[in-house]
Amino acid sequence: MPAFIDIQGLTKRYRNADENAVDNLSLQINQAEIFGLLGPNGAGKTTTISILCNQIIANSGQVYIEGKSLNSDRENIKKIIGVVPQDIALYPKLSAYENLRFFGNMYGLSGNDLRDRISISVDIFGLRHKLNDKIATFSGGMKRRVNLIAGILHRPKVLFLDEPTVGIDVQSKNVIIEHLQNLNRNEGTTIVYTSHLMDEAEKFCTQIAIIDMGKIIAEGKPKQMIKEHPSFNNLEDIFLLLTGRSLRD
Amino acid sequence: MWLKFKASSIKETLLLVRDRAGLAMLFIMPMILILIMSLLQQSTLTMLEEQKTPVLVINYDQDTFGLSIVQGLKDASFFHVSEKTDGNLPTEDLLKQLVLEGNYRVGIIIHRGASKQLRLKIKKIIQDQFPESEGELFEEVYEPGQPSPNVEVYFDPVTKVNFKHAVTGALRQFSATVEAKMIFEIYSDLLIDLIDIKLNESPGFTEMVDFDEKYATGNKSRIIPNAVQHNVPAWTIFAMFFIVIPLAGNIIKERESGMSLRLKTMPGSNMAVIMGKVNVYFLVGILQAVFMLMIGIFILPLFGMPALKLANSIIPLLVVTLAVSLAASGYGVLIGIVATTQEQSSIFGSISVVILAALGGIWVPTFMMSEMMVTVSKMSPLNWGLNAYYDIFLRNSGTYEVLPYVGLLTGFSLICIVFSFFYSRKFKT
Repeated sequence: MPAFIDIQGLTKRYRNADENAVDNLSLQINQAEIFGLLGPNGAGKTTTISILCNQIIANSGQVYIEGKSLNSDRENIKKIIGVVPQDIALYPKLSAYENLRFFGNMYGLSGNDLRDRISISVDIFGLRHKLNDKIATFSGGMKRRVNLIAGILHRPKVLFLDEPTVGIDVQSKNVIIEHLQNLNRNEGTTIVYTSHLMDEAEKFCTQIAIIDMGKIIAEGKPKQMIKEHPSFNNLEDIFLLLTGRSLRD
Repeated sequence: MWLKFKASSIKETLLLVRDRAGLAMLFIMPMILILIMSLLQQSTLTMLEEQKTPVLVINYDQDTFGLSIVQGLKDASFFHVSEKTDGNLPTEDLLKQLVLEGNYRVGIIIHRGASKQLRLKIKKIIQDQFPESEGELFEEVYEPGQPSPNVEVYFDPVTKVNFKHAVTGALRQFSATVEAKMIFEIYSDLLIDLIDIKLNESPGFTEMVDFDEKYATGNKSRIIPNAVQHNVPAWTIFAMFFIVIPLAGNIIKERESGMSLRLKTMPGSNMAVIMGKVNVYFLVGILQAVFMLMIGIFILPLFGMPALKLANSIIPLLVVTLAVSLAASGYGVLIGIVATTQEQSSIFGSISVVILAALGGIWVPTFMMSEMMVTVSKMSPLNWGLNAYYDIFLRNSGTYEVLPYVGLLTGFSLICIVFSFFYSRKFKT
């Protein structure tokens, strides 16, 4: 069975950069996988995910999602993907409802269907009481949750998440991770997730790839990887072994 | 596409309504600008009207000519005539000194015997008109070598040529009136002597022809331009173009916050989102124009200025306003797409609008510009808008007449938007 997301020889070099941010990267991700793309700062995680979700264009290489080429079938791919960016990409002066209605409209949702989806999501993420408050008044955790809802309202087949739990409290993190697992389990959503939180990735992901200097340096199931390195008992130690201890930024 | 456009329009409206500072900038600031500029220009015009040219006169000829010239100067509304300085009659040297120092812009010396010499000259002309067989008509006539009636006129050295011509023209007019009066009197006396007929008193020789001063306007109504009619449309256009700053800032803010990247991941063209912005700011521009015109009609008269008179038809006014607003919105999109940071967009946006305004005749009307600058001014979209408003307010033009300007403004907007679209695709991906 062909991979749901098939990345072949992906390369990206930014203007005026000396090295490739992503260097001939190839990767296959199966449907309904929770795939973790892990790496230190500047490893190429965000660039890879930005290419996959159409934010930037690669210099070379091919990407196929559900058999559709990113180069030639971009619009159809956009319809089946959801994106949750690392930055809180919401309008602070609009309420949570107004933000979600706007993003729902952007995905072609409207009317009662959109209202129902917003209603269900805010209940799941514990935001009902803040629905009509401006985003500017929200805590970091609340903003992250709204940021996530905006990316899943249209029920995408693939969800790209760029460090979705960075800088939030344990409770918010727990709600987000739980819901993502439910999405994956109940709706078969394929999740591609970047993080440098190794313990979170170890528990959350069904498959991981460690990326450094734009290249995949290790790939597999988290438990399998730990098994393969008997002298280490967690993913973080393996990560440090593979990527080194020197600072990256 | 339509849903994206609608959602973007609603979102922009909400953001704009909640941005009080932005709203103040869009509506209150231009209102203050119109008030201040109109008051400033109105008071300057009033000062110019009220400010009379100081003239110092030494009239050695206390007879018909000298007295008539002085009276003519006094009767003219634009001279302030003095015959004394510090309560004393000035000497000729003092007069020259005072004019040189700029205390008086004009000094006039009417020499002694000017009236008598003028009469003799007239009598000489009349004598020459009669055949020699009629003999001597007058006891005395002007003889070659005798002094001529003479008036010396001194000007402040900084006086411009046009002003000199205006003053000497006025003096010649007063002089001609006196000469005509004298000719009439001499002929009148002559008729008594020759045929014993006494003419009635002359009714006067001034203003026998009426010069009706008007501005060239359309046939239907006559609208005289004033400070209000220049300032209200001029600053309305200026304010509408200042939409560039919030609109461009909005686009850049969206880019800096990661919002536009997020929008890029969504299906459909991002242009619908941009056009939603254009739509809202376009409507804001129209509201601004309505607001500013209302100020011209209702508020400025409260400050002692004339009310703005709208043209006979509202349709050309609406068409031009739509076109100006579209041009301003298009330019805002262009700045927002091309500029990299908010600082860049606000500095470049505001300065470029000020430059386009200066070139376009917003600050200084184009009729006061040099020929070269008038040519350059035609490249400014603000000039197209201003000329279109002038055509409506002052020349009473209809929709058809303003269509060339509307076409230029709409074309400018389309070029800005299309260029932004391609620039965004090429350089911002």
